Amino acid sequence: MLGLTNPELGVAMLALFVVFIMFGFPIAFTLMALGVFFGYWAMGDFIWPLLVQRTYSVMTNDVLISIPLFVFMGYIIERANILDRLFRSLQLAAGPVPGSLAIATLATCAIFATATGIIGACVTLMGLLALPVMLRAGYDVKLSSGVICAGGCLGILIPPSVMLILYGATAGVSVVKLYAGALLPGIMLAGLYMIFTMIMALLNPSLAPKLSDEERNVPFTQVVWGLATSFLPLAALIFAALGSIVFGLATPSEAAAMGALGALLLAAAYRSLTFTKLKESVYLTARTTAMVCWLFVGSFLFSAVFAYLGGHEPIAQFVKYMDLSPLGFLILAQIIIFILGWPLEWTEIIIIFMPIFLPLLQTFNIDPLFFGLLVALNIQTSFLSPPVAMAPFYLKGVAPASVSINQIFLGVMPYLFLVILSMIMLYTFPQIGLFLPNYLYQ
Amino acid sequence: MERFLFLVDELSTWTGKVFAWCILILTLTTSYEVFSRYMFGAPTTWAFDASYMLYGALFLMAGPYALAQNGHVRGDFLYRAWSPRRQAFNDLVLYVLFFFPGMLAFVYAGYDFAQMSWIMKEHSAASPDGPPVYHFKSLIPIVGVLMVLQGIVEVIRCIVCLRTGEWPQRLHDVEELEKVLLHEAEQKKQAEMRKAENIGLARGDI
Repeated sequence: MLGLTNPELGVAMLALFVVFIMFGFPIAFTLMALGVFFGYWAMGDFIWPLLVQRTYSVMTNDVLISIPLFVFMGYIIERANILDRLFRSLQLAAGPVPGSLAIATLATCAIFATATGIIGACVTLMGLLALPVMLRAGYDVKLSSGVICAGGCLGILIPPSVMLILYGATAGVSVVKLYAGALLPGIMLAGLYMIFTMIMALLNPSLAPKLSDEERNVPFTQVVWGLATSFLPLAALIFAALGSIVFGLATPSEAAAMGALGALLLAAAYRSLTFTKLKESVYLTARTTAMVCWLFVGSFLFSAVFAYLGGHEPIAQFVKYMDLSPLGFLILAQIIIFILGWPLEWTEIIIIFMPIFLPLLQTFNIDPLFFGLLVALNIQTSFLSPPVAMAPFYLKGVAPASVSINQIFLGVMPYLFLVILSMIMLYTFPQIGLFLPNYLYQ
Repeated sequence: MERFLFLVDELSTWTGKVFAWCILILTLTTSYEVFSRYMFGAPTTWAFDASYMLYGALFLMAGPYALAQNGHVRGDFLYRAWSPRRQAFNDLVLYVLFFFPGMLAFVYAGYDFAQMSWIMKEHSAASPDGPPVYHFKSLIPIVGVLMVLQGIVEVIRCIVCLRTGEWPQRLHDVEELEKVLLHEAEQKKQAEMRKAENIGLARGDI
């Protein structure tokens, strides 16, 4: 066709797709249409059975089953009125620590975002809840907004996260191993955020003034009771779901179902499980799942046609021609993903662009599990880095008018560097990510 | 015309919302399977087939619902900044160029696929019980038809927007929490500004 060889057609298809993404049409349908057009060109009537087979393989994919379940769990927890209690109890518990309010905010975000996996909700809710508290206590605007944005995004890194399921389904890596692998890097990043914040508060107390004595000296029993009724149940839910996956007691989808059931019981215990809230969660779950899984339908077809055309070959040759070392390739790939994160969201990056990188990993002898962990860290930046960063804009939307978007971006900057630092640490000491999966499964 | 628009919207939304409840059944059946395995030492034979069918039906049949709510993800970093007319023109062209060919292929290929399964009276090979799968496979052409119908409605929306310069309203539905909160914050800020303006007016500052 047009004097192009099949591999060239594949590259043309990819190039057209990149162009058409910018027209803002729903990506699932763009992928499907390009797959059908180019597939029909190259293989004629064989494209029809391929189209339904790929769709059916999404419909029966036993990895993707856990997506609606984790999403459902998230929506239920989001609506369970748990965040206020969680923040207040962690705030009391963190009293003696330097920068206690910022630390409590980070901890709240980490737990809540991990349980819900919904970034926008965590950032906006904390923007309404924690930001006024910090500002009233005389905290620096930049520091306060930085911790909310950075903390609110941890949820897609720390397992059980939906992003790792998507990566597992795309890359054919075991979700169980990904969860085990991402646990330590996730905790490490959250820890880096906290240590950095504490150091800032110690070096420059005017950024985060100490609370008054009466706010700091809360009776011990009150602190324990607060933690026992908010932090403990939620942490138990997360560890139960994650633990049963990592120790092989349940498949990810079974653990997700138990997690969703646990969330329903938790919401009932907080007396916030009304029929309206249940209905809202059910409908939102359906819409989010439809969005993600239709994207998979389009992407499965697109990548099948791309592979049939052999579109990988010219790209692989080009990369070979560049004569990169494995480290060079790894850095290049991460930079590309970092840049893709400016205009695109993580779902698109994982579902659409990962299949292009994955065949190259073999060439450079890079473990797809390890690559996935680096990507998971890298994706954090796509929420934080200007110009199109979701978290700062959500925070700006709910913050008092006196907080400017530039202040928020400046506040986020140091945390962005911490993400990059954690990527360097993971690369230098791969055992941070690989120790747990190797220890548990070999 | 408007009645047709809302009729199709209602159809997609209703279908999506009915199938949305699969998530609750999926939660309960899968949890039951785990209990049954550990408490009674008796794993069920049906839970695996049930789980992928519930999940598959859920996401597939919610596709038109998501479309009716403009819920399918777009790479919208440029799109967002365009005027509604420009957005509508762009969407209109791409619906014709991409959406309908893709979806019609979906209906055409899905029909054959489902028909074959009905003729063979195909049963699942994933478990010893092997429940029938032809109903499940029939969802593909059915959802294809619903998608095409909803697509026609979306095209009409584009045409209306090209004429009036404004996107016509969609059916009201539950929104993501952050959207609700952002909307509330926006309204509050505007109310405060109006209040300040009124005070200024009363004082004669403005």
